[in-house]
Amino acid sequence: MTHTDDKPAVQIASLNKWYGAFHVLKEVNLTIPSGSRVVICGPSGSGKSTLIRCLNGLEAYQQGTVTLGTIRLGDNARETALARRQTGMVFQSFNLFPHLSVLSNCTLALRRVLSMPRNEAESLARHFLEKVRIPEQADKYPAQLSGGQQQRVAIARALCMNPRLMLFDEPTSALDPEMVKEVLDVMTGLAHEGMTMICVTHEMGFAREVADQVVFMDQGSIVEQASPLTFFTTPSHPRAQSFLNTLLH
Amino acid sequence: MTILEIWLGILQGFRVTALVTLYGLVFAIPFGLVFGVAQYLTTGPARFVVTSIIEFWRSSAVIILLFVFYYALPLAGLALSAMTVSAMVLGLNIGGYASQAVRAGLQALDRGQKEAGHALGLSRSTILLRIELPQALVAMSPTFINQLIQLVKATSLVSLVTLTDMTFRAKEISQIEYDPVPIYTSLLLAYFIVCYPVALFGRWVERRINPAREAYRAV
Repeated sequence: MTHTDDKPAVQIASLNKWYGAFHVLKEVNLTIPSGSRVVICGPSGSGKSTLIRCLNGLEAYQQGTVTLGTIRLGDNARETALARRQTGMVFQSFNLFPHLSVLSNCTLALRRVLSMPRNEAESLARHFLEKVRIPEQADKYPAQLSGGQQQRVAIARALCMNPRLMLFDEPTSALDPEMVKEVLDVMTGLAHEGMTMICVTHEMGFAREVADQVVFMDQGSIVEQASPLTFFTTPSHPRAQSFLNTLLH
Repeated sequence: MTILEIWLGILQGFRVTALVTLYGLVFAIPFGLVFGVAQYLTTGPARFVVTSIIEFWRSSAVIILLFVFYYALPLAGLALSAMTVSAMVLGLNIGGYASQAVRAGLQALDRGQKEAGHALGLSRSTILLRIELPQALVAMSPTFINQLIQLVKATSLVSLVTLTDMTFRAKEISQIEYDPVPIYTSLLLAYFIVCYPVALFGRWVERRINPAREAYRAV
């Protein structure tokens, strides 16, 4: 996400957000270096999805700063658009465009944002569909695919824009158990290629294997931030301990 | 007068019925699209202005608007032809209804569609034109066909501002022949014969413009 590699990919400082009177993010501070894989977990309503949505301007916040590379979000609309262009996002409910074919889902932003010629955009899209292992689905419509395939299209669609940072907001929560693996495999592959990734997920196996940092949130605050090894073996915060107990048993 | 002669007499008004419908669409389609989208996108005072204009055309009685525009405006120095007044009043009235279908179609879309567009860096106008409107218009196409049929039937009012449409012709023949039953029964059938193909056309359009749904059905 950065023009100069010494800048962290994401820097969140004193972030506060309210929904009316409800204080949903409380004084969140987080620095994510380029190339790292961060898993954010926590109970429902802890603010993890809201936090990740603040990182590409899908949610407004009232206090604090979010800096992606050298771009500070919210300074002006053009900067926010630039930051979004360099940030890929994968949603829980896929959010594919149902009226467009898989290929057109992938080429829309290439053509409309980057003004790429159709042939070039299509061959790039096919390259990324190959990468997520569904090149043969290019001409189908999203409704014709399984959930796991749809989510892989969503990942390919985001990758087409050559993002410096990938955000995943519970990417496997809407999937049947047997489709979870195919999506996690693609994400693991990306992580091994050095993509900077922030992933909100309850897939603790994925966190253990892929993440280099686990962030645990509760009631709008980051209450624990540790390496997966420390987090899973000796979590320090009681709330994290009880969360892991319920999850692992 | 034979039934055939009655039919031929009524058919002489078909051209006017068709023209009022077509010109009416020239008013209805842009009005419905522009004002439906504007109501969806605007807030505050701008939305109040947009809503007021829609409500004026949607909530006024068409027959009174026809009279006002045709008979009263010339007193203010603005004389419009009967065809212009008819097409404008009927078109904007139907356009008012259509605008609500456009707005409802846009509002009914999953919020995630717009968010996915934003996340890809698409501009607001591209999201509207490439993602939201295509889906909203397809979803609302049965409503638009309904409104087209309403427009065809509403043209029967233009006989009140001197246009010689099918209804005007039926009234003329009825006054000459004094035999209203076969004449108005024929008129009833004539409107059905015009409107039913529109309904069939609507179903065909729905199938054509929704490749995703068709592809899914074919699985």
